[in-house]
Amino acid sequence: MSLNVLNVGAGDIKLSFDKSDPAERIRAARIVRDMLKRGYALLIETGRDGQNRPVYTRALDFDENTCEYIIADYDPAVPSELPAASTQSTQAETNEPPVKSKRGRKPTKRVAADSTSGVAVARVAGG
Amino acid sequence: MANKADEWAGLPMPLPDMKLVVEPNYPWAKLYKAFNECVDELEASGSDEDSDSPQIEPIRSFRLSKYKGHPVTVVVYRVLETGKYQKMFLPPRDNLKLLVNTLGASVAWGAEQESKALTLLGEMISDYAMKCYMMTGTFLELSKRSGVMYLFRRLRPTIAMRPSLHGNGTRCIAALCMHPIAHYEQSWSGAMCPTDDVIAHLALMRGDEHLFWKRSEQHSIDQPEAGL
Repeated sequence: MSLNVLNVGAGDIKLSFDKSDPAERIRAARIVRDMLKRGYALLIETGRDGQNRPVYTRALDFDENTCEYIIADYDPAVPSELPAASTQSTQAETNEPPVKSKRGRKPTKRVAADSTSGVAVARVAGG
Repeated sequence: MANKADEWAGLPMPLPDMKLVVEPNYPWAKLYKAFNECVDELEASGSDEDSDSPQIEPIRSFRLSKYKGHPVTVVVYRVLETGKYQKMFLPPRDNLKLLVNTLGASVAWGAEQESKALTLLGEMISDYAMKCYMMTGTFLELSKRSGVMYLFRRLRPTIAMRPSLHGNGTRCIAALCMHPIAHYEQSWSGAMCPTDDVIAHLALMRGDEHLFWKRSEQHSIDQPEAGL
């Protein structure tokens, strides 16, 4: 399990978060923090689809102390907006007051860096 | 050298006679800009341009799909001496220059890079898609989130398609061109090896489709840059 950084030079470089190598783990964590600061897109594998292809989610942040990616807590394969009809029926069934949409931070979840792989893409120059 | 400079994606390789278009916030962008100026100077010293020709400032250019029956590019410019705005019509660029420049940029990539990238791509897509890529340099993938079908292509922009309104066939929405860090001007080549560019497109599409569209240059299908 490693993070593949797309690289111009000698091909992609791999960052490993292996717990048995603390020095490498600290170095990798610092590089990931630095990459996020520089606008890299870190696409983290969060599962596999029906054809056994990796499903990616972009990392929003990285916790250097625990070596965990912080990603948005949603399924990237599902459309973001639910149909209005289904929302109304759910409210009617539960007899609960309608919940107002909350502004601010969206729910996030943490993914351990040593248990997943991913791809890091640098900022782009158009085309 | 790139590691010492903490450039995790490496340093793009400048090539003689080819300008590198570098991401503006890249820390070494100034260095590459200076290199591009050297290329400009070399081109200017080699050309026999008349020094008495009027100085002009380009204002904007746009493309007309039909002007007197043919597609043209209209360039609006200002003559600096008189301050007057004028226009000129240019014939559309053909793909040949882009193709030759792409071939020229291939010296910047190594077989080892491409081999590593192919291994990574093989882990990301199905065996059938990988076979398609090896045989044709293209493969298809449907986004479940948006319903858009993407045709990922080696050394060409990715084509975004949707089923046509009548249900028979597909219609192309745009050609999405995107190169991490840098690309060579007037070509389809990025600073990274071709399959790394494809991986960048695929990973961004799967992980953050909105960002993929946002970061890509969206070429109209009838433009030569679309590579169709």
